[in-house]
Amino acid sequence: MPQTDSTVRTRPISLPRLLKGKNLGVVLAILFFAAYPLVITSPFYVQIIIRVFVYAIAAQAWNIIGGYAGQVSLCQAVFFGMGAFTSAYLMVHYDIIPWIGLIAGAILSMVLAVIIGFPTFRLVGRYFAIATMGLGEIAQIIVLNTSLLGGAVGIWLPVLPDSFKYMQFHKSKLPYYYIAFVIAIATYAAVAWLEKSKIGYYLRAIKADQQAAESLGIDSRKYKLIAFMISAAITGIIGGFYANYVLVVDPFSVLPRSFSSMLLLMSVIGGVGTLWGPLYGAAIVMPLTELTRGFLGAGGRGLDVMIYAILIIIIILFEPQGIQGVIKRVKVRLAR
Amino acid sequence: MDLLVLDKVTKTFEGIEANKEVSITVREHEIVGLIGPNGAGKTTLFSCISGSKPPTSGKVFFRGEDITGTRPDVVCKKGIARTFQIVKTFAGMTVLENVMIGALNNTGSPRVAREQALEVLNFTGLYPKRDLEAGQITLVDKKRVELARALATRPQLLMLDEVCAGLHPNERGEAVLLIEKIREQGYTVFIIEHVMDVLMPISDRIVVLNYGAKIAEGTPEEVAGNPLVRKAYLGERYGEKYSAIR
Repeated sequence: MPQTDSTVRTRPISLPRLLKGKNLGVVLAILFFAAYPLVITSPFYVQIIIRVFVYAIAAQAWNIIGGYAGQVSLCQAVFFGMGAFTSAYLMVHYDIIPWIGLIAGAILSMVLAVIIGFPTFRLVGRYFAIATMGLGEIAQIIVLNTSLLGGAVGIWLPVLPDSFKYMQFHKSKLPYYYIAFVIAIATYAAVAWLEKSKIGYYLRAIKADQQAAESLGIDSRKYKLIAFMISAAITGIIGGFYANYVLVVDPFSVLPRSFSSMLLLMSVIGGVGTLWGPLYGAAIVMPLTELTRGFLGAGGRGLDVMIYAILIIIIILFEPQGIQGVIKRVKVRLAR
Repeated sequence: MDLLVLDKVTKTFEGIEANKEVSITVREHEIVGLIGPNGAGKTTLFSCISGSKPPTSGKVFFRGEDITGTRPDVVCKKGIARTFQIVKTFAGMTVLENVMIGALNNTGSPRVAREQALEVLNFTGLYPKRDLEAGQITLVDKKRVELARALATRPQLLMLDEVCAGLHPNERGEAVLLIEKIREQGYTVFIIEHVMDVLMPISDRIVVLNYGAKIAEGTPEEVAGNPLVRKAYLGERYGEKYSAIR
């Protein structure tokens, strides 16, 4: 089925065109999320969307390496933890403001990505996934036994008066909401660009067939490392944000294996290797978790996981492209 | 000028010699055919050149430079592109995007790569199919995509691994025309082929492998007339038929 006209389009940008088709959806989504906390003021529901943002960003970061490049990383929690611990540690011990902490966390996550990626990208397919899963476990154990990072207790950030500089807001959750919102927009804009760039094309080629990709001049390890570093940096930043949002960082909350697999789950449900898939996935999975916990309490524990399992089975059976695939089908139907 | 020189290339797999001291020279603007029975080590030899399986011993020179054991992506950057016997089109991408990946070897801009890819698609007759998903097209078209993709990297040496295998005789004719068109463009072609009717009319020289070793080399006539080759590969009858046609 022909999708796009192959002639190169260089039309001037105009407002009506910006509001057409795909762009219209993006604009509406931005307006919706921008207005949401102003309309729905209950902290519980605002908090759910903040968590949706955190996961939508982290899942998109997973999607870069796992979706586009096809390297299933199960150690994303390590980068999240790296971001969270870096920011918290710098704040508590050196009084360095969280904003710098976020950047420091991103840089250290990238360094870690190179250290992890350099040897493990020799592994192909599931072996890479297993290796990264093992590394995630090792990281958690190391942090648990490092007294410098507070061991199992973790690091508690000081409660300070409301200030943008120290990223602390206690009167309202709105500033946290909008900070996460901005990071989310930046992440999705970056990936939208990446998708259309040389790197994006190369990552998809490596995923489709690494040997063929290499024969066409693609240094597969280099491009996988680039993807892994970008992924790690984004995860590190949002990890740092999370630390400053909840004000406590411990190895169980920021370094669990379940975090890494949750990102994979969200991307699979939303659509692996697609721009909007991780957002769809996060928007479905996160509220489900929060609502089952919120309404059923401890008694509902595990119910969300059962629902995910059913969702995954349905997706594997009927639509491997996830929600993105369903949307595509509906569009094709409507176009007829 | 000698473009590609293989000097006693040997490749062993756990004691089994897939290539035994093979020495071949490919000159600029030549079409050199590589034939041999199944398991003669033709594809292994290609892999030794392209870097996916470095030779156990021996040397590979390209434009006088020793490229033995160089990584496949670096070999491509130096100007050697190959296709695969078992097609490796990028499924999930369109035909155009497949060829763009090849063109991105010369440019950092997907826009420029797209223009170059469209030219190559025109040249290879794939233009009308540019927006089809590469996993969904026929085998003939997949082989064509492989070739177009390799061409898009702008190589000096094009190595084709059985572009006609599995094709209907009618389709082979088109493939031969395409290869001749490629030669007219000034490319040097090193081609593995099983189908004799394809290789005989287009090759300047033919090299014959048997059990990993080179047993003959020469013009198509010389090779077809060589008793060793007839025995190993062509069969007595084909040799007679071929000399009769000529």
